[in-house]
Amino acid sequence: MSALPRDLHPVAWWLWAIGLATAASLTTNPLLLLMIVGVVGVVVTTRRTDHPWARSFRFYVWLGVAAVVLRVLWRVVLGGGYPGEVVLDLPEVPLPDFVLGVTLLGPVTREALLAGLYDGLRLATLVICVGAANSLANPKRLLRSLPPALYEVGTALVVAVTVLPQLTQSIQRVRAAQALRAGDTGRVRRLRRFLVPVLEDTFDRSLALAAGMDTRGYGRAGTATATERRTTGALVLAGLCGVVVGVYALLDQTAPRLLAAPMLVVGTLVAVAGLVNAGRRVQRTRYRPDRWRPAELAVVAVGLMVGALGWWLNHHELAIAYPAVTATPEVSLTALAVGLLGLVAVVVSPPPRVQGGAR
Amino acid sequence: MSATTSGTSGIAIPLSARSRVTLTVASVLGLMMLCWPLLVRVGDGVSRIDPPFLFLLLLPVVIAVVVAEMSEGGMDARVLAILGVLSAVNALLRLVSAGTAGVELVFFLLILSGRVFGAGFGFVLGVTSLFASALLTAGVGPWLPFQMLCAAWVGLGAGLLPRRVTGRAEIAMLAAYGVVAAYLFGALMNLSGWPFLLGVAVPGAEGDLSFDPTAGALHNLRTFAAYTLITSTGSFDTGRAITTAIAVVVLGPAVLTTLRRASRRAVVVQTAS
Repeated sequence: MSALPRDLHPVAWWLWAIGLATAASLTTNPLLLLMIVGVVGVVVTTRRTDHPWARSFRFYVWLGVAAVVLRVLWRVVLGGGYPGEVVLDLPEVPLPDFVLGVTLLGPVTREALLAGLYDGLRLATLVICVGAANSLANPKRLLRSLPPALYEVGTALVVAVTVLPQLTQSIQRVRAAQALRAGDTGRVRRLRRFLVPVLEDTFDRSLALAAGMDTRGYGRAGTATATERRTTGALVLAGLCGVVVGVYALLDQTAPRLLAAPMLVVGTLVAVAGLVNAGRRVQRTRYRPDRWRPAELAVVAVGLMVGALGWWLNHHELAIAYPAVTATPEVSLTALAVGLLGLVAVVVSPPPRVQGGAR
Repeated sequence: MSATTSGTSGIAIPLSARSRVTLTVASVLGLMMLCWPLLVRVGDGVSRIDPPFLFLLLLPVVIAVVVAEMSEGGMDARVLAILGVLSAVNALLRLVSAGTAGVELVFFLLILSGRVFGAGFGFVLGVTSLFASALLTAGVGPWLPFQMLCAAWVGLGAGLLPRRVTGRAEIAMLAAYGVVAAYLFGALMNLSGWPFLLGVAVPGAEGDLSFDPTAGALHNLRTFAAYTLITSTGSFDTGRAITTAIAVVVLGPAVLTTLRRASRRAVVVQTAS
């Protein structure tokens, strides 16, 4: 693969991370989950840039740790009555009747702790995978890759992200102007005197921006005919109704299985077709669009493969995907592949652009 | 300055009949994905229920489809600019107020904007505010789609309040709505996190506060009520409700006037076709 430093397409990193998160959500095997966390950590440390968002990974790792601790703590606080070997015999504290006779504390069993740990670890892995995508993908470029049907909302988001530094500027200016002038000193009055000019200033600026956008052809109604719009509406509505039926059947396991997964897939596809159809009215050109090159496709393929293998593991090796809390968890060859395959992303992706040359 | 004439403010994103139906279906769908622990019915011989992680992927698609359908007729550049700017202000308010024990200021501007610019704008603003703030703080996580949907409902509801109420009564109504919305938002967010944080009850464990798929919906609702009462109703949700109500009462009149002035300049109302 090319070794020239460049940023990978942000969607590629997101799909890779979603693939890993899918695999993690389909298992509670702690060894497997820790492998995935390790792989994610390695990829993030070698492939992240030095932009501000790249530093957020640490925050997600702490969040994951918090999820595990919280989950185990809940087991201890509310976990009375879980059968197994008692490791810590705490006194029981019954709560008053209106909280359903819940008892706090009580004997803590090893099984309760392990079950909490496994489940917490799964949630933590999920959070860390999303965190990896967050720190690897450039959010501004990600906004530019929104589907065309969301073009307007995407533009509003770009405005939001870019206008924020100006807001602080406007706050400073209003403050400086008011410091020079006498006025109300009450707290509420002062806050009002401060907030209204800032808001007015912001709106003035946004209308100036809108005038600029108008002259550049933003916000046109598009060229869709009534029939096209009706088709879009029908597709979206039919798709959503299909998904409603699918979700219901997924939750109610006594419903025919044909209504569950197949209905969900068909409904989602029809709704997405509506989205694509709505996007066809938008004819825009993009300045220096992110391209899909072999490296991007390879990273996405790695993510998809991990997700698919995780699904296979969940369906065919149930004992390994969901180990019992009474025995040592084991790892099979497939599980090892699920855990370590994500690492290939380091090999196939180009090194990131870092300021001050290559590392 | 004190004239709060609601008659002159236009609807920024008009909702066609089709958009309304789509919005309703999508809201039902979102509510199903939030309340799934209350809807689950297990078949015989099923020993293990896992939280449907699939919903975390499905909900963003649903939100994207609804927002696309609502902006389908194209959006005016001025509305677009105001949407962006208000999202930025909301994101900033969230950034400033986050982390201080339930003192959350996001809702206050969201409710006032929904009131002035209409239900459709409120819905989209709820989505974009939370998304922008997540992008800015790199806080995109599995919880984001649920937060976006619930915030969107808060903005939508503010736009659906009766239009004729003006003056002090309007402020009182908005403050009361803010309290209700804050508690509902807290409860719904708790519901979305409950099975993930506490896990699913395993047969044999009793007296737990976690979700038990084999018990009925009513039993689970009571368990959840106890859980949310213990964990957040007394602390975070009350803090959020009080902050929102105070902000609406203290800053509401001034901000409403500012928003209405902006709306008069930004929203072009079609009088006759």
